[in-house]
Amino acid sequence: MPSTQNPPIAGAAIDPPSLRPPIDDAAIERIEPSRLRERLEALQRDGYAVLLDLGAVDYLRRTPRFDVVYHLLKLAPRRAGVADVATPARVRLLCGVELNQHLHTVTDLWKSADWAEREVYDLFGIVFDGHPDLRRIQMPRDWEGHPLRKDYPMRGPARERAPRPAFANKSNVVSGTPPTGRTLEALQEQVKRARES
Amino acid sequence: MSVYAKPLSPEVVSQGDNTMVLSMGPQHPSTHGVLQIVLEIDSENVVKADPEIGYLHTGIEKTAEGLFWTQAQTVIERMDYLAPSSNALCYSLAVEKLLGITNRIPARAQTIRVMDMELTRIASHCVWLGTHGIDLGAISVFFYCFDLRENILDLQEANGGARMHPNYMRVGGCNGDLPQGYLAKLDALIEKFPGRMRELRGLLQANPIFQDRTIDVGVLTPEEALQWSVTGPSLRASGIAYDVRKAYPYTGYDTYEFDVPTRAEGDAYARFLVRLDEMEQSMRIVKQARKRLETPGPVMIDDPKVALPPKETIALSMEALIHHFKLISEGFRVPPGDVYQCVESPRGELGYYIVSDGENRPYRVRTRPPSLYNLQALKGIAPGNLIADLVVMIGSLDPVFGEVDR
Repeated sequence: MPSTQNPPIAGAAIDPPSLRPPIDDAAIERIEPSRLRERLEALQRDGYAVLLDLGAVDYLRRTPRFDVVYHLLKLAPRRAGVADVATPARVRLLCGVELNQHLHTVTDLWKSADWAEREVYDLFGIVFDGHPDLRRIQMPRDWEGHPLRKDYPMRGPARERAPRPAFANKSNVVSGTPPTGRTLEALQEQVKRARES
Repeated sequence: MSVYAKPLSPEVVSQGDNTMVLSMGPQHPSTHGVLQIVLEIDSENVVKADPEIGYLHTGIEKTAEGLFWTQAQTVIERMDYLAPSSNALCYSLAVEKLLGITNRIPARAQTIRVMDMELTRIASHCVWLGTHGIDLGAISVFFYCFDLRENILDLQEANGGARMHPNYMRVGGCNGDLPQGYLAKLDALIEKFPGRMRELRGLLQANPIFQDRTIDVGVLTPEEALQWSVTGPSLRASGIAYDVRKAYPYTGYDTYEFDVPTRAEGDAYARFLVRLDEMEQSMRIVKQARKRLETPGPVMIDDPKVALPPKETIALSMEALIHHFKLISEGFRVPPGDVYQCVESPRGELGYYIVSDGENRPYRVRTRPPSLYNLQALKGIAPGNLIADLVVMIGSLDPVFGEVDR
């Protein structure tokens, strides 16, 4: 069984999407954050009515570091009465984002972006300006760090181990039950040692 | 509110003059899992509903990044625990695309995959229907549904070894051929199915109480459904016939004959009817797959770099032993690139956006969980309705929280 503790982080400046031609049905576009909003608005006007998904990928040693990925779907116009979806079209937008760089929200274009953007913010720490309610969604509110970043350890941040309570300070002593037997002896021993020092 | 609940943020608990805030869940029988809905209510009417999710977040996407391509499938199957095969299939298809072996998957493996997907869809809809019935006070439907589901789980156990998470589909095909006696069990199920469906329809479809509770409740207009990225039966009940099996056929779905049931009303009753029709269409596909299963053949790709060698060759062939050792100890490597693959899961379009950097572990596995987007539509359809109807709406959207929270 291989260790799952520290998976190797790939070499510098990786950019897998650029390494081979598209192998799925979507048209792929790479876009600058400054032009992103404008392009998405144009696509929506063009009939891309569904924001299928909004996710992110962290390429730790690449510049820009993150990719925010938009998957859009266009359905053929609905005929009256019987619905017919002829051949839908897909487009995938990859938007490179630097650490601490903000993107503009698309919640006003597609309502479904609400939770998707919250999730990207929660798990990657990418902030979407103008989002009506940008708070953590999967992790607890007081969580520190963004778990899906590649520099976030697989098993969570290392924490100080809580010091083990001394034998004499077990719960029955703390809660007021009079100590007896070995507990009493240990307590007396502790008191004796404290006096000596 | 229980002590385990997440503390509410100030934005959520703000309220108007005549309203109060009520927290429904996360431990509530009708929320089908661990969903908390923070409701702003004016007497019995919902003014604002804000679902709080994340109680079942287990970091599956992060875990998958630390496992081999094959191992990752075991955790990925646990996202949608009512339809594990759909997750497994979607992931396998995506990895196969990255490996460039999509065209080399044996025909029998594809048939078994289709059959498994459709059986899984019926089983998943059985759970939905049973629990939906219980939410509305129709207890007996549950037993009929779970009896039918039990037969399907038996089949899953027969070919995969486990009832809930068979992990039977693999990258490159299926893990072993169908066991002896499988087809007889399948035939018995095919035989039993129409009668059971008649009973289910008889119990609910014309039931006046059920109709009163579901007709015109939680209406999702087509425009709204698209705005909220709703997919699957919930979208088709709003009159849009988008089905991935038809739009982007995978694993040979274009060679099967089936219809895509749609309704125009967009209410909870329409979603109920669409799902029932879907179960029958699924059985139609299973029957066609059953005929094709008469022809024997390999169920795993003939590629020693991806598939484990047959057990009996390991003692005889040096190459087989080496391949076996390499595949178990370090897995296979996948050429770098990114791919988005989608399948029609019982809940809608399930997608995986997978990035490989050429290593033996996935670099990133992003899921497009249909339940997450479907559930989000609750924010749009709940306001203005009664609290009691909220239960119907959650049930009719059919969320699975393993998938919503991942």
